[in-house]
Amino acid sequence: MVAILTILAVVGVFAVKLVDIQIVQAAELDKQSTAARAVPSAVFGTRGDILDTNGVTLAGTVMRYDVAVSPYDASQDDPAAYAKDVVKIGTATGLGGPAVQKIISDALAENPKSLYASIIKSVDVTTLIALEKLNIQWLYYQRHDARTYPDGAVAGNIVGFVGSDGQAQAGVELGWNNCLAGQNGEETYQRGADGTPIPGSTSTIKPAKDGGTIRLTLDADLQYFAQQKLTEAVRSLGATYGAVTIEEVKTGKLRTVAEYPSVDPNNVSATAPESRGSHAFTSPFEPGSTFKAVTASSLIDAGLADPLTQVISPYRFRSGNGADLTDDSYHEDERLTLTGVLVRSSNTAISKLGTRMSDADRYAYMQKFGLGEKTAVGFPGESAGILNPYQKWDDQTKYATTFGQGLSITSIQLASIYQTLGNGGVRVPVQLVEGCTQKDGTVTQQPKPKETRVVSAKAAQETVNMLEAVVTKGENAKAEAIPGYRIAAKTGTAQQADGNGGYKSSYFVSVTGVAPAEDPQYVVSVNIANPITIRESPAAIPLFKTIMLQVLKKYRIKPATTQPPDYPPYY
Amino acid sequence: MSNLAPSYAAPKPRPGAPGTERRRLRAVSAQALRRARPRPIYAVITVATLMLIVVAQLLLSIMVSQGAYQISTVESTSKDLQRSYQAVSEDLDRVASPQNLAANAEALGMVINSTPVYLRLSDGAVLGSPSAAAADAGTVTAGAGNLVPNSLLAGVPLVTAPKVSPATTPQTPAESDPASASAAVGSPAPVPLDGALPAPTTH
Repeated sequence: MVAILTILAVVGVFAVKLVDIQIVQAAELDKQSTAARAVPSAVFGTRGDILDTNGVTLAGTVMRYDVAVSPYDASQDDPAAYAKDVVKIGTATGLGGPAVQKIISDALAENPKSLYASIIKSVDVTTLIALEKLNIQWLYYQRHDARTYPDGAVAGNIVGFVGSDGQAQAGVELGWNNCLAGQNGEETYQRGADGTPIPGSTSTIKPAKDGGTIRLTLDADLQYFAQQKLTEAVRSLGATYGAVTIEEVKTGKLRTVAEYPSVDPNNVSATAPESRGSHAFTSPFEPGSTFKAVTASSLIDAGLADPLTQVISPYRFRSGNGADLTDDSYHEDERLTLTGVLVRSSNTAISKLGTRMSDADRYAYMQKFGLGEKTAVGFPGESAGILNPYQKWDDQTKYATTFGQGLSITSIQLASIYQTLGNGGVRVPVQLVEGCTQKDGTVTQQPKPKETRVVSAKAAQETVNMLEAVVTKGENAKAEAIPGYRIAAKTGTAQQADGNGGYKSSYFVSVTGVAPAEDPQYVVSVNIANPITIRESPAAIPLFKTIMLQVLKKYRIKPATTQPPDYPPYY
Repeated sequence: MSNLAPSYAAPKPRPGAPGTERRRLRAVSAQALRRARPRPIYAVITVATLMLIVVAQLLLSIMVSQGAYQISTVESTSKDLQRSYQAVSEDLDRVASPQNLAANAEALGMVINSTPVYLRLSDGAVLGSPSAAAADAGTVTAGAGNLVPNSLLAGVPLVTAPKVSPATTPQTPAESDPASASAAVGSPAPVPLDGALPAPTTH
């Protein structure tokens, strides 16, 4: 009897313990045992690429490796083999044997038991393979992702760059980071004594997610050409900055936003901090005479003028209420048509015609052209330009705004104005990004263009035709014309505010135009800041022509078969 | 072994034995004894089955872990391939950059033709006036060199740069000499192309 009870008691104790281990503490123990053998490993989520409109990689992610040694283990090695290995590492990394030797001996001097000393960071795969072939036991590699920009400074100002920590710093990299960024995941596996994972032991703690691909509307080849030619022009003019913008008239897509200086994202520190972004988006300027097209088209749209409207253009104009302005060089009174006002680029005459319209109406037109409002692109740090409400205009500003002073716009906004005129008066929002393509093929962040009518088709077409007369009959006709094509363009030599209520002595010269005039396809806008050797608008004309010619060739635009309407500049 | 237990049971009274027969002890006949002895075949089958199971299990687990090693090998091969893919595509992207292409085009003597001419396919009309580009028509870089920096291109030679001769490539002298000699004999250098592409003159 006692024996049976004893047996029952012992069995009972075992049963209780069994239940305790198998059920009550099961999860806890399981975790402990797994943790003892499990090896966590990071799963990398790769940052997405940035492509141009044709799929050319502008920014990509590559594997880089940090190379380190264990100085203690190295010192335990056979001295002769060690000396040889150091030289081999020096050759493979390009550091040279003595440098590697110094790193190891320095580390040993500091701590004879040292297990880690960094040899070189971010070597590429080719170097890694060379190092791995050496088969040195005390050499270690740590993989990480790095960003590479195969085309260098081509669109570097737009693409932007990431810091050494992989964090986006500027440009599209920053502005579209939520699409591009990948998320690193984590998984664990259990491994046997020889390091081989035990089959079926891998468990994903957090799945990695690769970033999406951003496709831009830019064309890398055209962008390169523009940057090359712009740099040449800016340097020969002794200017400080230049921008070339090419926009597709029918779609509002930017094909080129070239700037000088422009950062090479592979080597950011070579560029001054203030030149690492995109001034075309972020820094507005007073446009000057290129803006007269806005005033002219507004007048025609409102029925207050037509291309043949007559006006006397004096050299000096005083409003009687304080405004006092002149044309840029002295001339006798001229009898101009509205076309002639643009051809002669008369400030006084456009002031007289422009103020036929109420300030409120003119302000409304400017707003419809997109002034004082950021473009649809949403570039990081983008400026809306400065357009003060008309109630705050003083008398000088009231007149100056008719010829593009007293307000400021970005290069992109300027291109957008000419896009509107070229597109029959319909403004298509500026577009820089085609969309974000995720790994599974879904496309997000596609801009939805919302077109708005700014002026009537007739007003837009007549303005384009008047701008054509500027090219064919203006003082720079020879320099601007491209034989066989109908080009409509306007030059500008704008004064820039010095920040103290006055103007600087240097100018912002620009040429902006559309081609072909009979059915505009592309806007080309050239802006150069503070040229020295030629200070006024002719400075930008050769570059405008070079770029326009390249655009016409590249996009296979056929020479014109029609003649422009003949608007006389004088009456 | 429990299934063999009945064989050890005491032999029952033989059926049909005459009850009236006087009970007396006598030796079991050798034949009966042989019949009653446990049959070794059962043991053999059981042990063999067990062995089989053990061996099968062993084999299976060897195969599974072999699979793990295979996976490990294949994964490392795939990693190697990914790496070399990356190395060559990085190289390709770099040399495909417009800066490199323009510099090479210029080095090869290519110029820009500034008078574009179009052939309209619908009626064969030629738009524009065709004329050959002058040799001094200018290039994209216009002699100014590349003005759009690309630090990745440092050290990338132009296609016209003289090739490094085989003698200077690091090779062990023992094998470089016969190898280069046989290569030179085996593949004659391509005929250099002078001037324009050979094309028939048509009007």
